Amino acid sequence: MSFEWPWQYNFPPFFTLQPNVDTRQKQLAAWCSLALAYCRHHKLYTLDVMESQESPVFNNKKIERKLSTEAIQVVFEELRKKGNLDWLDKNKSRCLVMWRRPEEWGKLIYQWVSKVGMINSVFTLYELSNSDDTEGEEFHGLEEWMLLRSLQALQTDGKAEIISMDDGKGVKFF
Amino acid sequence: MGNIFGKKKRSRVTEQDKAVLQLKQQRDKLRMYQKRVNLQLDKERLLAKQLLKNGKKEKALLLLKKKRYQDQLLDKTENQISNLERMVQDLEFAQIEIKVIEGLKVGNDCLKKMHEVMSIEEVERIMDETQEAVEYQQQIDEMLAGSLTQEDEDAVLAELEAITQGDVLLPEVPSENLPELPEESEEKPERERERSKRKQEREMLAV
Repeated sequence: MSFEWPWQYNFPPFFTLQPNVDTRQKQLAAWCSLALAYCRHHKLYTLDVMESQESPVFNNKKIERKLSTEAIQVVFEELRKKGNLDWLDKNKSRCLVMWRRPEEWGKLIYQWVSKVGMINSVFTLYELSNSDDTEGEEFHGLEEWMLLRSLQALQTDGKAEIISMDDGKGVKFF
Repeated sequence: MGNIFGKKKRSRVTEQDKAVLQLKQQRDKLRMYQKRVNLQLDKERLLAKQLLKNGKKEKALLLLKKKRYQDQLLDKTENQISNLERMVQDLEFAQIEIKVIEGLKVGNDCLKKMHEVMSIEEVERIMDETQEAVEYQQQIDEMLAGSLTQEDEDAVLAELEAITQGDVLLPEVPSENLPELPEESEEKPERERERSKRKQEREMLAV
């Protein structure tokens, strides 16, 4: 299944931030959904502003247009406001993307755990995201920070508890 | 945030859970090790092939020896992993057993309490009383039945006879061929029914 680009993607002005406030807002909204959809399709969790400028999302080679670093930062900032993104450093050069909210991931994981009858059992984080058992599940290959956040979301619901040990973390589901 | 969770953690995660987690972590490490060795093995196999192609048989042999050793290591880790997993399963099962015992204990206590309420003497007394009450009731029944039956028996029997006789006479099967017309065929049984009804009535009167 290949990624479906929105019509704006082949529309050159889309790659320049629009001065008009209304247009700009629409443009940013379109960029946000495009970026999220792209990350979801390719299962990307961490983005680098410099790197993503070279990635096909922000760089349409066919029409020879790319979004400037500043514009990318504006888009990312917009995503952050919506709760889909977190900056990793103060310079805003690297960020974490959450195309699925931690609560949603948590729900998926919890569903799987109850499906395999492992409630009340202990898991290592590695086991959840990398073992053969979860192969084919959506959260297989989930990056650890994202996994941890979704487990924290489950923890606030009282459905799980994160156990910290000297080397690595684990989780128990309830 | 950590503090809030910290308090809860102590209450719900047991020592056993931690032990299981440790075992699983160890297993994960072994799995990672396996992956690494496997990758290395693949690489070395390719390298050995290339060396052979280039005519460096000695080196290829050496590499294969190394590979053989790593194969053995891989087997060992596989064994260790299954050991660890067995341990985890044993631990989990022991926890389940504890829960079963706890459940049985609760049930046992409950039963004991209920037995305390229900002493054997009490049960005996109640059973005796019930028996007495049943006998008493039977006596009443006999008395009542004795006074009634004699009078009604004949009437009941007569009624029964009347009903059975009426039943015997009821079906009068038409001997002629069934008429073709649907109207007539519907009419006839009706008339018959009426006739038999009247007969029955007459008999009842006679009785």
